[in-house]
Amino acid sequence: MSTLSKDSVRTMMSEVLVAQGKQLPADDATLLTDIGFRSLDFSELALRVEDEVGTELNFDAPGLRSIETVADVLDFLEQLQQA
Amino acid sequence: MTSGSSGSPGPRLPRGAGNTLVTRGYRGTWADLPRLGLPPVAAALVDGHGAAASAAWEHTLTPRETLVVSGRRVDEEQAEELRAAGFALVPLSGPVSPAAAQPPTAAQPPTAAQPSTAVQPPTAVRPPDEGRLWLMTSGSTGRPKRVAHTLQSLTTVAADQPARRWLCPYAPGAYAWWQVVTLSLAHPGQDVVFVEPDELAGWPELALAEGVTAVSGTPTFWRQALLGAGDAVARLPLQQVTLGGEPVDQSILDRLTDLFPTARVSWIYASSEAGASIAVHDGRAGFPKSWLERSAPGRPRLSVTEGELLIDSEWSADGFSGPLRTGDRAEVIGDRVHLPGRIASDEINVGGSKASAAAVRRVLLAHPGVAWAQVRGRRAPLVGAVVSADVVLTTPVTGATTPASASPARATTATATTVTTELTRWCADRLPDHAVPRRIRLLDEIPIKETLKSDV
Repeated sequence: MSTLSKDSVRTMMSEVLVAQGKQLPADDATLLTDIGFRSLDFSELALRVEDEVGTELNFDAPGLRSIETVADVLDFLEQLQQA
Repeated sequence: MTSGSSGSPGPRLPRGAGNTLVTRGYRGTWADLPRLGLPPVAAALVDGHGAAASAAWEHTLTPRETLVVSGRRVDEEQAEELRAAGFALVPLSGPVSPAAAQPPTAAQPPTAAQPSTAVQPPTAVRPPDEGRLWLMTSGSTGRPKRVAHTLQSLTTVAADQPARRWLCPYAPGAYAWWQVVTLSLAHPGQDVVFVEPDELAGWPELALAEGVTAVSGTPTFWRQALLGAGDAVARLPLQQVTLGGEPVDQSILDRLTDLFPTARVSWIYASSEAGASIAVHDGRAGFPKSWLERSAPGRPRLSVTEGELLIDSEWSADGFSGPLRTGDRAEVIGDRVHLPGRIASDEINVGGSKASAAAVRRVLLAHPGVAWAQVRGRRAPLVGAVVSADVVLTTPVTGATTPASASPARATTATATTVTTELTRWCADRLPDHAVPRRIRLLDEIPIKETLKSDV
């Protein structure tokens, strides 16, 4: 399975937001609630990653609860690819 | 549907016996088709329309029980089931010669030209249920099953029709195939030009060459033709355009009405089980609400219960009497009842909010750049499922099937991204947030199955 770099995932995250007329700020500490990044958006980003790496990711992870910032999203998706 | 022949002894011929058939390898009337000598209870495993038409003709002339089905569709397990149910399995290759269905003997072994003539006898012999015609369902909603009809129950057009030359692209033995065949058998002036599956891409040229004036097909069939051979389709002198087999939306009706302003554009709701139940000729999607709960001789009784279409029809298959739950969603919108698709596959649960695949598809098809769309739920983390769509554009983004994991040209990828972003915004302006497709894949061509459907 190929893996995506954190920068690549960040680009995809930006595309998800841009499609809705929103912007991804440069600061990865930004809260998701502040930029309107919702559950549906996270799902879409996850599917984009799956499509790109060509395999399904295993989301059975308690870490989902602690995803509050942009950095949390990027870290979590990076961990999933390495799992 | 029969009339007296010229006074000579023999079977009474159908009124359409003199109609012309054109198949690969046969051009002539029903009456000129060779007799096959099929066993009294026979499953004709055909390799094309010529063989299928011969088996249908044989059924009209002799007291027998017949199943006509493409040989490719019958696997080993189904073959054994048929034999146990009393059927002799008769592989038929077209064009059919009179000897084609005879079992091989030591004195007359199969020739190289007829390699598939080995008849497999039934494992449980029984007398025929005379007149019984069996159809094999498409299996799109489960394992294919046999449905019992007769020529009478399949002959749903009673009144004589204007003389027409029909194009029949349906799979041999399918309900829609029998609709065209019984029309031709029952009514003088109804010729049929059959299209083999490997000829489908070029059917407009074939229809032009053969002087076809009436064409019946699924919406997917029409969309594919308009996309790939629109110029040839536009030159057809069509008097009758018929759609069925899939949900029929206003956008495809409008395109066909614009293209053939003098033709009658009709859509038909039919299934192997319920029979042909609804025929609408006013060029509008859906049928009039006033038809619900209407009781009229010769017409099915239509009703809607909990959003599902129910049909009580004399044209139903045997064993399906009384109100039949169709499994198709029925939506009353204004003065029309729309049938957007299967209930089981229509509802997408997105984090507890329900999206209708048919509604999303309708929005996508309303976009001027979209030629075809398919919508489904896709499993996703957090919300359970998201709406996903496959789309074919009227002007394709060359070579770009997205998502672009196969590293297509950068410029092409950028164009595909631009298109999908535009389609997402189009949907966002017209649908609730949870129903907006989160993944849109651009396909180069419309996928179509042997049933002429794409399972939307």
